[in-house]
Amino acid sequence: MRALIVDDSRAMRRIVGRILSDAGYEVLEAGDGQEAIDVLEAQAELPALACVDWNMPVMDGLTFITEVRKRPEWRSITLMMVTTESEQDRIVRALAAGAHEYLIKPFTGEALMEKLDLLGLLPVPAGDLS
Amino acid sequence: MTTGTAPDPALVHAAFEQVWGSMLFTAFEPWPADAVPELGPGVQAQIELRGDWNGRIILTCDTEVATQIAGAMLGAPAEEVLPDDDVHDAVGEVLNVVGGSVKGALGGVMSLGLPGVTEATSPPSPDSSIIISWYGAPVFVEVVPDAA
Repeated sequence: MRALIVDDSRAMRRIVGRILSDAGYEVLEAGDGQEAIDVLEAQAELPALACVDWNMPVMDGLTFITEVRKRPEWRSITLMMVTTESEQDRIVRALAAGAHEYLIKPFTGEALMEKLDLLGLLPVPAGDLS
Repeated sequence: MTTGTAPDPALVHAAFEQVWGSMLFTAFEPWPADAVPELGPGVQAQIELRGDWNGRIILTCDTEVATQIAGAMLGAPAEEVLPDDDVHDAVGEVLNVVGGSVKGALGGVMSLGLPGVTEATSPPSPDSSIIISWYGAPVFVEVVPDAA
């Protein structure tokens, strides 16, 4: 399975990327929402998952999720917001825009794995992860 | 115009403590009261909070500490030499997560800016800073309201 990480922080892309790679994902990266759209448009095989930061330059994560949900051909992508935005109204806005899950930074690798398990997106059984 | 109250130092403390443990895998230790904090050539990260309270959270530490923080966050092997851009990016993300935690705890109508990281041009005043110990080196944190 493939995953797209959309975050303006290279450090955060590297951290999330390592967790997902260890879980068996092939990882794609983008530094903002517009770059993520460009990445998706260039893919023959869409990622199953996109982990999306909220606050980014050029195009923020909420706008990206809204744009993805406008495209029926991208309906198969599961969208998870991964962000410092922790207020209830932000979570509601993200879910209303089309996010399937919401993970608040800081988070642990285990928390991310639990979210993937809930979404049925663990490529390998959790017990097999080192 | 700021109408809300500034983040309580205990709130900022708690946010750093959470980030230290969950992102840097390091025990949070306040700076010893009887030690004099000194700062060499360093980096300074800032993030703006806007809304009911307007101001910035500023983190300043020396370059070696910033490199170690980035290495801890990234799980980089000791032999890996991190480029300055990656160090700045990692320190900015640490402050971004702290800023998000503080914003969430403040409540009200608030928004968070994007973190910016530059070279530190002058050491912060210890009297106006929360000082955290990073393996015996100081990390200065200031909460600075906008000028009235």
